[in-house]
Amino acid sequence: MSEEYDFEAIIVGAGPAGCAAALVLARAGVEVAVLERGQYPGAKNVSGAAIYGPVLHNLVPNYWEDKESFERHLTTKKITMMSEARTMTIDIDLRDFNQTPYNGITVLRPKFDRWLSEKAEEAGAMILPDTMVEDFVWKDKQIVGIKSGEEELRAKLVIIAEGANRILTEKAKLAKHPHAHHYAVAMKETYELPKKQIEERFHITGTEGIGNEILGHSRGVPGGGFFYTNENTLSFGLILNAKSLADKKLKATDVLEDFKNHSYIRKLLKDAKMIEYSAHMIPEGGFKNLSKLYGNGVIVVGDAAGMALNAGLYIEGINFALESGRVAGEAAKKILESNNYTKKSTKIYKNELKKSFAYQDLKTFKRAAKFLENERIFAHYPELINGLFYRLLKNDGKPREKITRAAIKHILSRAKLLGAIKDVIGGLNSL
Amino acid sequence: MSDTKKVMTIEEKLDLTKFTSDHNYAHITIDPAICKAKCTTHDCVYCCPTDCYKFIEGEDAEGPVSYDYIACLECGVCRIVCPHGSVDWNNPKGGFGVEFKQS
Ligand SMILES: Cc1cc2nc3c(=O)[nH]c(=O)nc-3n(C[C@H](O)[C@H](O)[C@H](O)COP(=O)(O)OP(=O)(O)OC[C@H]3O[C@@H](n4cnc5c(N)ncnc54)[C@H](O)[C@@H]3O)c2cc1C
Ligand code: SF4
Ligand code: SF4
Repeated sequence: MSEEYDFEAIIVGAGPAGCAAALVLARAGVEVAVLERGQYPGAKNVSGAAIYGPVLHNLVPNYWEDKESFERHLTTKKITMMSEARTMTIDIDLRDFNQTPYNGITVLRPKFDRWLSEKAEEAGAMILPDTMVEDFVWKDKQIVGIKSGEEELRAKLVIIAEGANRILTEKAKLAKHPHAHHYAVAMKETYELPKKQIEERFHITGTEGIGNEILGHSRGVPGGGFFYTNENTLSFGLILNAKSLADKKLKATDVLEDFKNHSYIRKLLKDAKMIEYSAHMIPEGGFKNLSKLYGNGVIVVGDAAGMALNAGLYIEGINFALESGRVAGEAAKKILESNNYTKKSTKIYKNELKKSFAYQDLKTFKRAAKFLENERIFAHYPELINGLFYRLLKNDGKPREKITRAAIKHILSRAKLLGAIKDVIGGLNSL
Repeated sequence: MSDTKKVMTIEEKLDLTKFTSDHNYAHITIDPAICKAKCTTHDCVYCCPTDCYKFIEGEDAEGPVSYDYIACLECGVCRIVCPHGSVDWNNPKGGFGVEFKQS
């Protein structure tokens, strides 16, 4: 491209994917601008959130030395099965996760995104908030810049990091209008609770923290709840498959209130004061529903490409966003060096991504998306498991049954055995 | 259980979230004629996390649901769940709309 350009690379969106790409490019001395529609990076963004320390460490070495970067590091993981009157929790205490770079850390997005964007800015990237990209500038069949209001900015390469609501990815003809069953609506509430009370309630000290995934009690809608401790706040939320909500004619807000009123959740949130309500959608179509990753003059990273995994027991997306952003930054350096911005050259990004854990994990877990569409998992199994334990533990003065016999009887009486076996096999295959 | 109220209304919750509303531009609009002619499922009403979509009663209503963009959290889900393409979804202009601080 011999014409004039304003930046070598323009990135749309200052979420983790966009900031990671910007950081890598700026470090290499590339003139890069990040356009962000929010009042500041993170102002529009919502997550649980737990992320993997090693992935962040790979991007920002020794990130933990900067206390702004995270809230707490995770030392306890709980998985809860919740039904109307009963709950069962698996509590995994992982003290060996006390070592840096920490296996898991919790973050709040307005703070985290701002911190990461500052790292990119320090490295030389230009971050432009309050700027919404409406469309692209095309030349022949190649994207050569972006349009925002009256303005046009030209770039050799555009990186789309717009997140789950992939309007521009569709405009770039890299994805079609999505299906509702591939998306979840996720609602989050943030609560304030004094640090001391958090530490006492959850048996943690220093920057230790807990994460709790909660299945069941969502009126049969596939999804699940999450709960994380931050420094002096608690993150709580519920993720629900959009199509299933509409099919069942259940209002998302009602399901949330109902879920929250379960005694297990009320104990978690006791005495805490709600300070913010937020919501966002999550792509959960998995590997099969990824967008095209590159086109003429353009590449796509993070949620915009559909790179998220929501498998009930964990919600992952930030790590894929950070990693695909990092890989995109590395690939963009090569693309810029080649001085060719057509598909032939931008394909470098996909080739590089294929080698990374982001692509490989999405591929490994490609059946998880299908598995999650199975409503039995969410509607019946928490009830089934809790019922079984009730049967095993209850003492009504009569001689008790052998555990195996009680289990088989219980399952036979509640579920169609064939369906249950298929689900277990499906579940193991997808995980 | 002390201050965690039993059921919080969506209005009470939204009081906690900061908005810079753009009173000159509705970033999302729906076409009531499409809703009226085609829709039997009203997916938008069930999926919106802030109840921006509401059923309207009455024979002479323009369509089966009303929409108000002011409390929109920009989650994006209505663009995807509407089966009839009635939702015209755009991002608010730069700097406008919701502003999360603790999400
Ligand atoms: C409730 C909830 C809980 C979650 N929990 C977890 C978790 O615990 N762990 C985890 O790893 N993941 C979690 N996720 C998923 C995670 O949030 C996403 O995968 C991640 O945010 C993707 O990052 P991204 O950079 O691709 O997109 P985003 O974070 O969505 O960033 C996109 C950015 O682009 C900006 N933008 C969009 N369009 C434009 C435009 N036209 N012009 C300018 N700017 C634009 C947006 O304002 C935004 O800042 C959760 C998601 C939700 C909703
Ligand atoms: S906006 Fe879409 S889903 Fe909602 S009533 Fe209209 S046609 Fe139906
Ligand atoms: S984007 Fe989300 S919050 Fe806004 S109106 Fe649509 S569904 Fe409701």
